[in-house]
Amino acid sequence: MSHDGTIVAQKIRKSFGPKTVLKDINLEIASGEICCIIGPSGSGKSTILRCINGLETVDSGVLKVNGEDFGYYETATAYHALPPKKLAEQRTRVGMVFQSFNLFPNMTAHENVMSGPVLVKHADKKQSAKRAHELLASVGLAGFGDYYPAQLSGGQQQRVAIARSLAMDPEIMLFDEPTSALDPEKVGEVLAVMKDLAKKGMTMVVVTHEMGFAREVADSLVFMDDGYIIERGDAREVLSNPQEPRTRSFLEKVL
Amino acid sequence: MGSIDAALKPRLRLRTRAEYAGWIFSILAGIGILTSVLTNPNFKWHVVGKYFFAESILRGLMLTIFLTVASMALGTLLGLALAVMRSSHVKPVSMAAGLYITLFRGTPVLVQLIFWFNISALYPDLRIGIPFTDIGMAVDTNAIMGPITAALVGLTLNEAAYMAEIIRGGFSSVGKGQIEAADSLGMSAGTRMRKVIIPQAMPSIIPATGNQVIGMFKGTSLVSVLGVAELLQSAQLIYARTYETIPLLIVASLWYLVMTLLLSYPQSKLEQKYSRATSRLPRKAKPVVLTDPEGAAR
Repeated sequence: MSHDGTIVAQKIRKSFGPKTVLKDINLEIASGEICCIIGPSGSGKSTILRCINGLETVDSGVLKVNGEDFGYYETATAYHALPPKKLAEQRTRVGMVFQSFNLFPNMTAHENVMSGPVLVKHADKKQSAKRAHELLASVGLAGFGDYYPAQLSGGQQQRVAIARSLAMDPEIMLFDEPTSALDPEKVGEVLAVMKDLAKKGMTMVVVTHEMGFAREVADSLVFMDDGYIIERGDAREVLSNPQEPRTRSFLEKVL
Repeated sequence: MGSIDAALKPRLRLRTRAEYAGWIFSILAGIGILTSVLTNPNFKWHVVGKYFFAESILRGLMLTIFLTVASMALGTLLGLALAVMRSSHVKPVSMAAGLYITLFRGTPVLVQLIFWFNISALYPDLRIGIPFTDIGMAVDTNAIMGPITAALVGLTLNEAAYMAEIIRGGFSSVGKGQIEAADSLGMSAGTRMRKVIIPQAMPSIIPATGNQVIGMFKGTSLVSVLGVAELLQSAQLIYARTYETIPLLIVASLWYLVMTLLLSYPQSKLEQKYSRATSRLPRKAKPVVLTDPEGAAR
């Protein structure tokens, strides 16, 4: 049975110096699931995302992405860190979209989208260019290929960033507050692209403050506070009828 | 009074007494220095004129230019390698680079130059081969380490330490998000360096390198102690014979000044260019007709 697109986390712990940001995280995400993670800032929601992508390493616990131990291999006694090449290979299967876009400013939008396939997978340039063209069109940016990131609005930059991640054909897409750095009027265009993506059966984990998006698109909702998952369930159910008092008080403040 | 419409009156800037005093003082001092310089016969301006384009001076100038260009180019390459090593996560590699930089920045370049010139006292022959075996070849150190080679080696190795720090500073000016973006795409460390970090580090590296070139140009005068007939040594050789010390030092100084001025023009151009690149305008902005306004596809 294929585990592509799945994420399994068991008893994940992660500290930064004396501060423990993930205390006991247990989470299973099925292939094709759209999971939104909400919670107050500092609750550890971004850190989970960064662990799934290998931008942070977990201190202990089991983390399987696409069915494989992520960043490590298991022996009878320990988890050993994978060599950089293997880790890079695993990362190509997980796309990441950042709050601050992080497009490469020295490349055009088109070159940004091509950067993964050409520089990492060493794919054929012509085909990658064609694919990049299609991807830019699919995020509503046909004709913007020759623009540099600095010439694009925040919403456009974020859509290029999504296209750049998609160019790697990942099984899982992670979104770390993708609309938080945007002007309110630009939020909609990015969410629209994400909704399109959700319809295509991609596994998506979205850290967000957009409750409307969670209600409309997400299959499941995770509420985190202080390094723990407080509540997890069907997105609409949790939003309309939270079981935990902490979830309730958080939702009262943001809704 | 009141003949001009108040709305049209020019606005004059504030002139302080210090400004007037400054002008008067500067002009008087300028006239004083200039008359002294021009009338004092000991300057021997006719001697300056006589030697300014002398063949040995021009040959010295050429050697100075060669030393500057060669040691800058080699020093930058070595500095780049050191900077990459210094930012490596492999401890012994970054420590080795750190040690190199500390040693070569922490000792005077003049001492380093004399040291390399006398390296044969430490190693009379240079051996290339496999350690602890007889395989390989040996050459007499003095045969290769002539004055010019010693000058080139000394200047290059010293410059590499400074360039390494400049380049490393450029690397660290690239945002953490850029590195994360490259990593999350699965880029290898080498690709990340070549395609993401170095292109973005250039704006802060280039102007600083321009300064180094100017510094190096004047710094080559130090190799005169090794008897290399560069610009200063060429002047010294003449006044050792004619005792016209001051005029010949003026000849050398004027050439240094001319070359520095020539170098600072492209440097300021480069600085302007790269300070623009860091601002919002991209380097090769292409005019694109807005056929598809934002999000029109949806």
